Amino acid sequence: MDYTNQIREIASKLFAEGKIDVFVGYRMTGFDENQVPALIRDPNEVSKLVFTDKSVFNLTNYLKQDHTRNKRIGLVVKGCDSRALNLLLTESQVKRENLHIVGIPCKGVVDESGNKMQNCIECIFPNPVVFDEMVDGTPTGSEAPSYQVNTDIRNIAAMNLVERRACFEEVFESCIRCNACRHSCPMCYCAKCCIDQETSTLYHGANTTSSAFHALMTWSLHLAGRCVDCRNCEKACPSHLPLHLLHKWNEQVIYENFQEHLAGVHEGDRGAFYKYNMKDPDDFIM
Amino acid sequence: MSVELFVTDKAGLTKFYEAIISKNETYAPVEKFGKYDFKRVSSLDACNPDAPIAQTLSAKPLFFPRSAKIMKYTADHSGTSVKETDEDSLAGKRVILGMKHCDARALQVLDKVYNWDYIDTDYQRRRENTVIISTRCDKAGTHCFCTSLDYDVEHSDAMDVAIVNGTDGKIFIEPRTEKGKNFLKEMNIEQRISNNEFQIADETAPEAIKQHYEAFAASFRLKMDYKEVNAKLSKIFDSPEFENVSANCISCNTCAFVCPTCHCFKISDEKVKDTGVRYKSYDSCNNGYFTLMAGGHNPRPVKYRRWRQRTLHKFVYYKERFGENLCVGCGKCTNSCPVNISIFEVVNQVSETVPV
Repeated sequence: MDYTNQIREIASKLFAEGKIDVFVGYRMTGFDENQVPALIRDPNEVSKLVFTDKSVFNLTNYLKQDHTRNKRIGLVVKGCDSRALNLLLTESQVKRENLHIVGIPCKGVVDESGNKMQNCIECIFPNPVVFDEMVDGTPTGSEAPSYQVNTDIRNIAAMNLVERRACFEEVFESCIRCNACRHSCPMCYCAKCCIDQETSTLYHGANTTSSAFHALMTWSLHLAGRCVDCRNCEKACPSHLPLHLLHKWNEQVIYENFQEHLAGVHEGDRGAFYKYNMKDPDDFIM
Repeated sequence: MSVELFVTDKAGLTKFYEAIISKNETYAPVEKFGKYDFKRVSSLDACNPDAPIAQTLSAKPLFFPRSAKIMKYTADHSGTSVKETDEDSLAGKRVILGMKHCDARALQVLDKVYNWDYIDTDYQRRRENTVIISTRCDKAGTHCFCTSLDYDVEHSDAMDVAIVNGTDGKIFIEPRTEKGKNFLKEMNIEQRISNNEFQIADETAPEAIKQHYEAFAASFRLKMDYKEVNAKLSKIFDSPEFENVSANCISCNTCAFVCPTCHCFKISDEKVKDTGVRYKSYDSCNNGYFTLMAGGHNPRPVKYRRWRQRTLHKFVYYKERFGENLCVGCGKCTNSCPVNISIFEVVNQVSETVPV
């Protein structure tokens, strides 16, 4: 998967036509084979842009930052990124007319050791669901698998409540409470996050398992029905916590109980908890 | 100067480690989710003293805990009682295995700030009680640049005992401080020599250690002249380049939380009914609320200013005040950064914009 040339052409064209102020893509770090997000303002720097299977980070995270707010932005999105973008549009966090979305027919990105990421193997939306133009013309009909429950989640589902709590506590025990997961999440844009209240006696920042439990559980429930499985949080976690366990678990519960709802798939589709449907079950509380 | 230097092999070293663990309160890198963190260990099987640098978190929390209990209180109708506490710092003698040199060196940098206007007795106690045993790196990691900073890595006394992998399976054990020498005596080094597990190194050993260091120093890709960087960065507080290089930072704070030299903290209370605990926990100057004052004023309201503060604190302010850079070149921030920002790259990029 290498769309470097196409991305550069598109970015140059957008700058030449005066459609954008900033182009958000990827460039090489300059000292190894990894990539770093690039916010290109100068048309002469377009030649720095690249796109390969190492273009991992979900760039919609940059839409919530000060220096991109109210700017006209060219943005590179993969399938999962576009779902996050869809939700941000629905939740009125970005203006559609400010965006020029460049879609990537994604074949999966790789982790640090060069293996295809697990969420990419299970990905059911490799093609962007919202875009202005695709790098390869129209999206190719690459065969995506249908929605399946992740093996880890199947194991969690089989546990009783005590075991399940122990399982999550085992994860939270290694949390160092840096909140990088929250900051790297494209769907987290609250100006003041509930897990970041320095005066709170519940979500205080101390590095205890109970504090991590409160913070991460609350965080994941705020993302229930909104998580697009881009795994920015897992990439950001310095302790390599398997945070997907939380999100995939929520995703599965919602998929089964809310008419096979998946976050951000359709334009204008609100999260599962934002809309009322007569068919919604009311026999449980998440 | 009489240099005490011992030589052993893989089996001898394993026995030595096992003896350390059985006789002392020992901390070593323990793997979980593919990442190593320093934890109390009771057997050598549970830990990996040779944990790779890129996957290992700093041992700083053993000296400056991620969350230290600084106070307990009870408040009810009968009155209020307050008890100062830090259970962890009351710990006795400890040994750390597998701490890399950069990580150990970071403590020497931190000593300066902890012995400055206020002497942090908890930190001091932990420092005095701890023996650091460190395996010297054979090869530089992808993001390492420790040899480019202001200290002599080769002759460093940051670790108490250095373990150097020589050629032909020889492993050198070299006490670098008085504490290290005493510790080896305590660990029955004499008996180990009579058992033939250890030998006293011959005159070729210092040369072998030197060669090991030279091969290690030659493996660095990243090299810079820190004096030039210090001088240039001190001139460009108002440079617009800070805004450019920080544009792709997502302010996630990971860099500060994994950094072996960052030492900012916040105070928070955990309260259950009438009792509570006050914690001192890590914080980061990248946080938007870090400089938020009562009344709502924030002197660093935008990202690039916070980012500039962190960079200049590392390479200018700390240097001016304490004579050393607040960076040991360990590359932990770069390894952990979700968007692969390299401190080495950005510092050099900003410096390059300054006319000579």
